[in-house]
Amino acid sequence: MSSNAAEQCEALHFWDTRRNVIRTRVGGAVIGEGVVFSHGYSMLEELTGHATFFQVLVLNVTGRLPEKRLADWLEATFTCMSWPDPRIWCNGVGSYGGALRTSPVAAITAGTLAADSRLYGPGSFPLVAETIGKGLRLRQQGAPTADIVARLNRRADSPSAAVPGYARPIAAGDERIPVMDQVARNLGFTAGPHLELAIDIHDYMMAEFEEGLNLAGYLVSFLMDQNMSAKEIYRLYSLCVNSGIHACYGEAFDNPPESFLPLMCDDIEYTGHPSRKTPNHQQDKENVYVQ
Amino acid sequence: MTGRGIDTQVRDRKEVFATRSRTRIWGEKPSPANPYLADAAICHGYDHLDLIRHCGFADVLYLLFRGELPSQDQSALLDSLMVALINPGPRHPACRAVMNTAVSKTNPAHFLPIGLSLLSGDHLGNGEVAAAMKFLLENSGGDPEAVAGDLLELAPSPEGDRRIAPGFGTRFGGIDPMAGKIVRHFSVLPGAGDALRWGARFVEAIEGHGMGWLMPGIAAAVFIDLGFSPREGGGLFQMMSAPGILAHGLELVGQPLTAMPFVENKDYVIERG
Repeated sequence: MSSNAAEQCEALHFWDTRRNVIRTRVGGAVIGEGVVFSHGYSMLEELTGHATFFQVLVLNVTGRLPEKRLADWLEATFTCMSWPDPRIWCNGVGSYGGALRTSPVAAITAGTLAADSRLYGPGSFPLVAETIGKGLRLRQQGAPTADIVARLNRRADSPSAAVPGYARPIAAGDERIPVMDQVARNLGFTAGPHLELAIDIHDYMMAEFEEGLNLAGYLVSFLMDQNMSAKEIYRLYSLCVNSGIHACYGEAFDNPPESFLPLMCDDIEYTGHPSRKTPNHQQDKENVYVQ
Repeated sequence: MTGRGIDTQVRDRKEVFATRSRTRIWGEKPSPANPYLADAAICHGYDHLDLIRHCGFADVLYLLFRGELPSQDQSALLDSLMVALINPGPRHPACRAVMNTAVSKTNPAHFLPIGLSLLSGDHLGNGEVAAAMKFLLENSGGDPEAVAGDLLELAPSPEGDRRIAPGFGTRFGGIDPMAGKIVRHFSVLPGAGDALRWGARFVEAIEGHGMGWLMPGIAAAVFIDLGFSPREGGGLFQMMSAPGILAHGLELVGQPLTAMPFVENKDYVIERG
């Protein structure tokens, strides 16, 4: 084999070993034998009927089968993260889907995508995790809370503070945190260093800026104390808003089409260029139309 | 659980919301008979019916985002880009996903959302186009050879493909020849601008290291030369790739599951431990 051919063979080796072959640590079915594995567990003999849905969800996301109480806590967070209120942006997508007679899967999927947002929902979690993780490193270096907040503040030139995991749209304060804290207490959890720091920051932010911890900040800190990574937390919560979208989609679907918040033409304010004559682009391609 | 009282008193922020949505893109004149229906519409000032009569799709697409109709050269460049991106091809993962859903009898109305969701990613999708545009905008004031030299020193050699920068690198371990042919076509069009020229010089500096243009990089350079922003470019890349994704899906509607390959048990290796 010539040296060029050998080099090409080596360059393609990575791709050739993957062509028409799947190698997986996730698991899968052995077709024809009625056997299905997830991360080494038999789905039918060890998981179905023995583990909860949320335990298996964590297993599929992280590769680790968690104790049931952690799965129960996660399930409770899903319950309080999805209100049946179409004014919430992702839920409104579900309502518009119902108004347009989409399938439920299309509407719920579209609403789920809407919650992949930097402002709320799972899309906000990676930055919250980065913030809390950075804050804990500063704390471990001995930084006082005020200095930590100053370092985490993304709006340092403003009188208000912007720290991911703190504040929330429309309302200040988060009524879900004491509820979830009680759920955690009932399940026998104790706060770890991430959550302790998150509450220290909360106390400081409330005193200085009247902005407090939001549910994303609380649950991300809690889960980081459970040794979950930012990536794992983001993945776990991908579908966390689906329940409220369902409610909004269903109601809109069961009403006449397009009857959810109909708009008159004048309900939209046009602020663009005044009316002008359209050049004939098709007939005279030599014209230059930029005005 | 924390053992510490958390003040979570909820207060309405009393923010002032707009009473009407606003847009500078589209204006509608209500029908005298029914204010929910439009009697006429304008796009950045141009009558919609006149645009239908006198302009092509690329012209109005440009108008929609840029607020003005394009010059002839800009229109030709945008039109060529739309043809270049019209089909990611049946080996592209977004197309393959839709082809597999087609034989599994998924509602064909979902083909585009499925394919375009996958085309949102940071590899060969919206994310890479936007990142490539930012890379070009941030670096095109500098010497491409020097930029390439700095990046080559830092660029890791991971398993799989290399990206010296978003939109530039290898595909399946090599330089994508089709990307090279397409960009050569663009480079001689009168509408080609500084971003395409800078990208070409950057590629000259990395070709010796086995890397070249990738389609997201080409799209990024053209979008910059046409004045689009990275957010606009990423989304337009998805939109322009939609026809091929849809066509490949629809071609397989009605076909059985067996019309697509299925990895046999012997080639499905579950690794334990």
